[in-house]
Amino acid sequence: MEIFKSGIEIHQRLAGTKLFCNCPSRLVEPDAKPSATLRRTLHKVQSELGATDKAAAFEGSLNKTFTYQCFGQSNCLVEADEEPPHGLSREHLKTAVEIALMLKAKIVDEVWVMRKTVIDGSNTSGFQRTAVIGLGGLLETSKGPVGIQSICLEEESAGIVGEGKEAQTYRLDRLGMPLIEIATSPDIKDAGHGAEVAQKLGMCLRMTGKCQRGLGSIRQDVNISIPGGARVEIKGAQSLEDIPVLMQNEIMRQSRLLEIIKTLKDRFPESTIGFEKPADLSELFKSTTCKVVLRALGQGGSVHGLRLPRHNGLLGMELYPGRRYGTELSDYAKAAGVSGIIHSDEDLKKYGFTVQEINAVLHGLKINNNDSFVLVADKQAACIKALELVAKRASMFFVPEETRKALAQGASSFLRPLPGSARMYPETDVLPVRLKHDYLQRVAAHLPTSPEAALANLKSILNEDLANKIFKSQHLSLFQTLVAQQFDPTVTAVTLEETLVSLRREGVEIPDVERTVVPVLAVFEEGKITKAAIPQLIRAVAKKKAAAIEGLAPAMLVRQAIVESGLEKLSGKGLESVVIASNFDIPGIMKKYRLNIDPAELQKIVAEKKR
Amino acid sequence: MYSLKLESLFNANGIKIGDLIRVAKQGAIYEGILLPHAQIGDKNCAVVKLKSGYNVGIEITEDAKIELIRQGQGGVIAASLEETSAQPSVQESFISILGCGGTIASRIEYMTGAVFPSFSPSQIVGAFPELSKVSAIRSKKLFSLLSEDITVSHWQQIAGEVEAQINDGTNGIVLMHGTDVIGYTAAALSFMVQKPPVPVVLAGAQRSSDRGSSDNKMNLLCASHLAKSDIAHVGVCMHGTSNDNYCLFHSGTNVRKMHTSSRDAFKSVNRPPLAKISYPDCTITQIREEGEVQTRSQNQGNTKFALEMNPNVALVYSHPGIKPEFFEGLSSYDGVVIAGTGMGHVPTNSFNDPSCTSVVPAIRGLVDSGVVVAMAPQTVYGRLSMNVYTAGRLLLEAGVIGNNCDWLAETALVKLMWALGQTKNPKDAKELMLTNISGELSQRSRIDETHNASETD
Repeated sequence: MEIFKSGIEIHQRLAGTKLFCNCPSRLVEPDAKPSATLRRTLHKVQSELGATDKAAAFEGSLNKTFTYQCFGQSNCLVEADEEPPHGLSREHLKTAVEIALMLKAKIVDEVWVMRKTVIDGSNTSGFQRTAVIGLGGLLETSKGPVGIQSICLEEESAGIVGEGKEAQTYRLDRLGMPLIEIATSPDIKDAGHGAEVAQKLGMCLRMTGKCQRGLGSIRQDVNISIPGGARVEIKGAQSLEDIPVLMQNEIMRQSRLLEIIKTLKDRFPESTIGFEKPADLSELFKSTTCKVVLRALGQGGSVHGLRLPRHNGLLGMELYPGRRYGTELSDYAKAAGVSGIIHSDEDLKKYGFTVQEINAVLHGLKINNNDSFVLVADKQAACIKALELVAKRASMFFVPEETRKALAQGASSFLRPLPGSARMYPETDVLPVRLKHDYLQRVAAHLPTSPEAALANLKSILNEDLANKIFKSQHLSLFQTLVAQQFDPTVTAVTLEETLVSLRREGVEIPDVERTVVPVLAVFEEGKITKAAIPQLIRAVAKKKAAAIEGLAPAMLVRQAIVESGLEKLSGKGLESVVIASNFDIPGIMKKYRLNIDPAELQKIVAEKKR
Repeated sequence: MYSLKLESLFNANGIKIGDLIRVAKQGAIYEGILLPHAQIGDKNCAVVKLKSGYNVGIEITEDAKIELIRQGQGGVIAASLEETSAQPSVQESFISILGCGGTIASRIEYMTGAVFPSFSPSQIVGAFPELSKVSAIRSKKLFSLLSEDITVSHWQQIAGEVEAQINDGTNGIVLMHGTDVIGYTAAALSFMVQKPPVPVVLAGAQRSSDRGSSDNKMNLLCASHLAKSDIAHVGVCMHGTSNDNYCLFHSGTNVRKMHTSSRDAFKSVNRPPLAKISYPDCTITQIREEGEVQTRSQNQGNTKFALEMNPNVALVYSHPGIKPEFFEGLSSYDGVVIAGTGMGHVPTNSFNDPSCTSVVPAIRGLVDSGVVVAMAPQTVYGRLSMNVYTAGRLLLEAGVIGNNCDWLAETALVKLMWALGQTKNPKDAKELMLTNISGELSQRSRIDETHNASETD
C-alpha cells in the first residue's frame, strides 16, 4: 500500500432520554404512521467570525424543501424546532466524561455546546448541537499507541426516508438522540489496524453499559489522505470488515485522480479549463427512442449538454473496480437532483441513441477529437444546475476535500464538500457546564471496567466459549448485574446467549428480555424449577406477556406460568415416593418428569433407596 | 468580563481578545483564539476557539502556562456581512423596511451569551437578495431593542417615522420587531396611524436569524409582498402554520402571541386574519370579506395621525383571592384595564358570603377618583357580557366600562393609553374607548367553519 494518513471516527448512540429534551431515544417501527408531517426550507448563514462555510454554501445553493415526519412517541416541539433545547443532559455528560477518562484524555474545564451548521435537511434547526468533552487521549493497540484527538457529545441527526427530486423526507424519531463521537489522530498504520482500532473503541464504549444496541447504533467513519491528495471523510462504514477495503479503495481513488490531474495539467498548460454554458439540445432528440430522454421530455423537461474540452479518454479511466472518473462527475451532478449523467466515454448505443443523434450532439456542442461531453435529461433547471456542478468538479486541478458516503463493498460516493470550522458557533440557548475537579475525581473513582479486565473477569467464572459470547453480547451488562446478585454465571450466560437465540429462532417474541428472563432465573435460583425447565418457562411467560396480561407483577406471572405448564420442581420426599411408586423405573420417570427433576438428585435417591 | 486575576494575567503576557494563544497545564496543551467572556460561565475559565471551531473553557490554574502565539485582527467579529448601500433613485417606487430589533435581526452577543438584535435592515437585505426582487427598498434602523423593553415613546417614534415615510412617498412599510410585544406595537400603531394610505406590516421571527431554520426570511419576504399589496392596514405578518407554506396577515388590533416559541404562535382573535400569503410564490389571498378590508384608494386622504399617548395605565389580571388593597394601590394610575374572568368578572361576593371579599368598593374608589377603569376578557376569546350576572352588573354600577366589548386585554390597554393621550377628560376618554377606531371592537361575533360538527362526532 502507498503512503497515507488515516484516522477513524466512531459515533455511538447512548440509551436513555434524548440529549436536549426528555423524549425517549427510541426508534419507531419503520412502517409507523407519523403523528405530524412538516414541510420546511433552510437557508445559509454565517458564523460568529463572519465567514460562510463552504459545505453550507453548497447545500444552500440547492434550494431544497424538506419534509419531516414527527412521531409522538419519540418527538416533542424541540425536535420540530418549535421550542428551545432543555439544557445538556447531565446523565449523558457523565457517560462522555467516563469514556474520555477511560481513553486517558484531558477533560475540558467548561463544556460549551456549539452549533455545527448543517443545511442538508438532516437537522430541523439547520445545525447540529455538539460539545467537546475531552482532548488528547490515547488508545493502546497491537501496532502501538493511537492518539485520541477528541471525545465529543452531540445530537444524532434525523434519518433520511426518501430522496424525491423536489423534496427530501426525514424521520425525526432519531433526531436528538445522544451520540458519543470519538475521533482518533491520523495514526492508523494499515487497513487491518483501522478495523482493530474501531473494534477496540467500540468495546470501550460498551463497557459503560449505556450504549444503544441494534442496527445503526454505532457508525464508523474513516478519514484518509495521501501525499498530494486531500483529506476525505468517508461516513458510515457498514461494518468493521468494510473498513480495510474502504481505506484501500480511497487510497487508490486519490492516486488515480492524481494521475488524471497530471494528464490534465499536460493538456492544459494554462492551468485553467474554460467551460461553455450548458447547452439545450432538446431539439436534437425530437424523434428519439432513448427511454431516458423520452421520459424527461415527456414530463416537460429538456436535454442539456456540456463540452469537456481536451478530456477525451479521461472519463472512462478507472479509479478502482466499479468506479471511474466519470462516476465522480456523476456524483456531483446528482447533488442537483438528477438521476445521473451520460458521457461520451460510455457506449452511447446502449441508451438507444442513433448515430445521427450522436453526430448532432457532436456538432451542436462543437466537439472535436480531443473533447468529451456530458448529457443530462431532466427538468430544465436541474439539468443546468447538474452540468454547472460537473463543470465545477471537472475544473479542479486538485483532489477536492470531500465528505463521502460509504457504499457496499468498500466503495464510496461524494456527499458534500468537507466542512470547515466556519460552520461552528455557540449554542446560546444552552448554558455552559463547569466541570470541577472534585466532580472529575468522583467520576474517575468509579470508572467502568476496562474491556481487558472485563474479559479476564468473565473467563474466570465461565468457560472460554461462553465468556467470549457474553463479552460481545448486548446482554453483557444484564449478565454482570445478575452475577453480582449471586445468580449462577453459567446458567445465566447459557440462558441469555443460547436459550434466547433458539427461542427467537422458534419465533417466540421476547421484547423485554430483562422483565421476562430475570424472574425465571430468579425462581431457578430459589430452587422452584429445574435447569431443564428454564427454556419452557420462558416460552410460557413470553406467551402470557404476549396475551397482554399487564399489571401482573412479573413474579406473579411466573408463578402462574409454572403452575399452568406443570413445571414445579419435584424433589425431596415427593421425588422419593415417585421413585418407589414407579419401582425404580428411571427411564419412565425421566420421560414423565424430565423438566421437573434434577437428574443428579434422582440418581442420588435411587442409589440410597436401593441400598 | 473575565476575572480581574485573568485579565491581569492576559495583560502581563501581552494577550488581547482575538489573539491566538497557547495554554499548557497538567500535560494538556490548548491552542486557539481567545474569545470574550460571555457573562455566563466561570469568569476564571478562558474561552478559546480551537482550530476545529469548537469553543472550550479552560481554567487558568496556578500551574498553567499561557503565551501569545499570534496577534489577532482586532475585533473577533468581522462584521463582513454583505451590505447594500444602494438606496432607491428618486423615481423608483420603493417600500420602506424599518428596524426595531428583535430576533428577526440578530446575532450572537457576548455580554450575555444570548441572542441580541444587531443586524441593520441593510444587512438583512444584503443577506436575502430575493427581497430586492420584490421592490426597491429603503432601509432604516430606528433602534435595537428586545421587544419587552419597548415603551410608549418608542411607539411614538415608530409612528413618527411611519408618517415621515408616507410623506416621502413610500409604497408600503415593513417594520421588523421582536415577537414578544409585536401585538402591542401593532395595536398602538393602529390607533396612532388610522386608515393608513399604504400597508404597514409588522414582521418578526420566532427562531433567531443566526440559524438556517430561521423563519425570518419567509416572514420578511411575505411582509414585503404585503407592503406592495392593496391591503391598507396596520397588521402583523407571521407563519400561519408550523410549516413553511404560508404566512397570515393579522389586523393589528386583533392579533395575539399564543405560544411561547412556535412559528405559528400568532393568531387573530375573534376575527379572521386579513389575508393569507402562500410561500414561496408569495401569492396573496384575501380572507376577510370584501368591505371588511380597507384599500389604498379608500384610505387615501382619510389618514389620521394621532400620536399622543399616556403611559400611566396598568393592565391587571384578576384571580380568586385578589385583594381590595391591590386595587387601592392603583390609585396613582390614570387608567386601569382589568383582565376579568369569564364574561368580565372579579370577586364581588354577590351572594354575601361571610368568607368572601368583594373588590368592587375598591374599584369604585378608583373610578370616583378619576381613574378610567375598563374591563377585558381574561379568556382571550369571546365577548364581555356584564348584564348577565350580578358580578358584572355591580362592576357596571361602579363605573367600569367595556360591557359587550370583544377586544383583547392587551389591545384595551394600548387603546386606553392612547385615549388618555388624546384627552385628559375621563368622560371623553371613556367615550373614545367605546368607539371603534381600527377594528378593535366589532358588533357581531362570527360563526364560521370551526363551529361545524365533524364527521366523527
